[in-house]
Amino acid sequence: MSNQDATVNDISMAQVAESASFANAPVAMSLRNVSVAFNGRTAVRDVSFDVPQNAVTALIGPSGSGKTTLLRALNRLHDLTKGAVVTGDVKLGDIDVYGGTIPTTVLRSRIGMVFQRPNPFPTMSLYDNVVSGLRFNGVKKKSILDDACEQALTAAAIWDEVKDRLKAHGSTLSGGQQQRLCIARALAVEPEVLLMDEPTSALDPISTASIEELIGQIKNRVTIVIVTHNMQQAARVSDQTAFLLMAEDRAGVQIEVGPTSKIFNDPDDSRTLDYIRGRFG
Amino acid sequence: MSLNTSTVSSPSPVTNVEGRKRPSTSSRGAYEYVLLTASALFALIAAYFVGTVIWRAVPAFREQGFGFFSNAMWNSSFDPTVPSQFGSLSMIIGTLITSGIAILIAVIVGTGTALAITFLLPSRLRTIAATLIELLAAVPSVVYGVWGLIILTPWFQYTVGPWLAGIPGFDWLFGTTAGGQCYLLAGLVLGAMILPSYVAIGREVINSVSKELIEASLSLGATQWQTLWKTVIPTARIGLFGAGTLALGRAIGETVAMSMVLGSALSTNYQLLKPGATLAGWIATQWGEAQGSNQVPALFALGVILMVVSLSMSLISNRLVARQRRAATL
Repeated sequence: MSNQDATVNDISMAQVAESASFANAPVAMSLRNVSVAFNGRTAVRDVSFDVPQNAVTALIGPSGSGKTTLLRALNRLHDLTKGAVVTGDVKLGDIDVYGGTIPTTVLRSRIGMVFQRPNPFPTMSLYDNVVSGLRFNGVKKKSILDDACEQALTAAAIWDEVKDRLKAHGSTLSGGQQQRLCIARALAVEPEVLLMDEPTSALDPISTASIEELIGQIKNRVTIVIVTHNMQQAARVSDQTAFLLMAEDRAGVQIEVGPTSKIFNDPDDSRTLDYIRGRFG
Repeated sequence: MSLNTSTVSSPSPVTNVEGRKRPSTSSRGAYEYVLLTASALFALIAAYFVGTVIWRAVPAFREQGFGFFSNAMWNSSFDPTVPSQFGSLSMIIGTLITSGIAILIAVIVGTGTALAITFLLPSRLRTIAATLIELLAAVPSVVYGVWGLIILTPWFQYTVGPWLAGIPGFDWLFGTTAGGQCYLLAGLVLGAMILPSYVAIGREVINSVSKELIEASLSLGATQWQTLWKTVIPTARIGLFGAGTLALGRAIGETVAMSMVLGSALSTNYQLLKPGATLAGWIATQWGEAQGSNQVPALFALGVILMVVSLSMSLISNRLVARQRRAATL
């Protein structure tokens, strides 16, 4: 444990220091008293924070703290689950996510998502995978799709590897390449926000490093909210960190939100410090 | 298939038991002996069955040659100077038409049903629906046959048939006269019969489509409908095709109901309101008068065709369903 202590602190000192000052950045999404309940049982309670634009916000916390549940509330993915109720305010810019003023399909094309395990559509070619979101949204013109495909794959740093075999299927790629393909697929619809749910948890260390590097590259075009169980990862990639913890009643609550450098070096709450130092979780 | 593997595998363990090469106790030897006897018996029965059917069919194939497949006549001659004519063309086409209609119904209605059960029903109703459908799949076909004959035939003869026959421009498909027992009715009854098993398998196939793919699709802004059409069905299509083949295998082998609602007629007029015959149904209806005559080898030959067709059907469907399992799990 003490060993891990040192590692975390080293990393946080070295890498977090450069965290951009985003205090003045525009707000991409804002959460106010957001709670999620399944069949009456609260899984996340009263979470409130702002997601700064073109920055990376990490959600950290031990298993069961509701990180993923909270993330999926942001693009209304809980709509699929019978008995799931999201309360409180979630806003994308000025738009009330749950207000009904914007169709869920449009909303989801503005808030993209990357999942734990790479999930390219197995029956589609690489090309079709990347442009699938645009096609869902009614884009048919080949020149637009071609451009978007190249752009998205370039942004996801995989264009050079796959440009000669866009007709191949996603399953021919390695796990890390597949995940970058999924990132490209999400970027192709040009979302304002990209939600990433432990995007490297199924990947090897080298692929993980490349995805983390990629996150740093794409944040200038998209706001990122990333769930991770890996504190070093949060320290390496994020500008802002939200720390969640499971309360007595097993609901996830927000303990502390702040600039990553502050959360990792000088948190306000002793529980945050304990978690960062690896005392539990 | 099982025939080959059991005959091949049976000799070697026997020598092992006799040779005491393995560190086996006497009780282990006894149980091996029992199992081997059982499986050898099975292999024997299977071999005897397949062997005799083929053996008894050989004279028909030899006498009729390729005509057995291209000829629509079925005349048993009692005059030694006039050769008998046995051709399975009518039955083959009848089987294809009725199975085709049935599979069309099963795939369209069944896929829709399976999707609805998986995505629309609340989980409690889902279990109930699945159980009911599996129960329906177990209903013996004779019940469907009686239902078709007593309930549907009159309806077809006096209502549906005349209406279809009266549609201008579709004479080529339906014909101009309405009968009760006909290809269309048989296809419908067969479709209703195979629908439950198609839905039961199709539901599992659709269930096996990873939730992550569905979420990926929705998270890109796809509607539920687009997700069904562009993600779920394409991912499940191999398995659905397998379910269809399995259902088709059952349809092709279906005997009792078909001999009841198709009218047991041999003709080269294949309009859908005309009566006809299927391979399996023809064997059943002809058997009574065939005994002792030279029809017997010809009926056995129909049996061989049926065996080959259903064997290949089940091989294909097994392969497809297995491939689906690998494809759908990420």
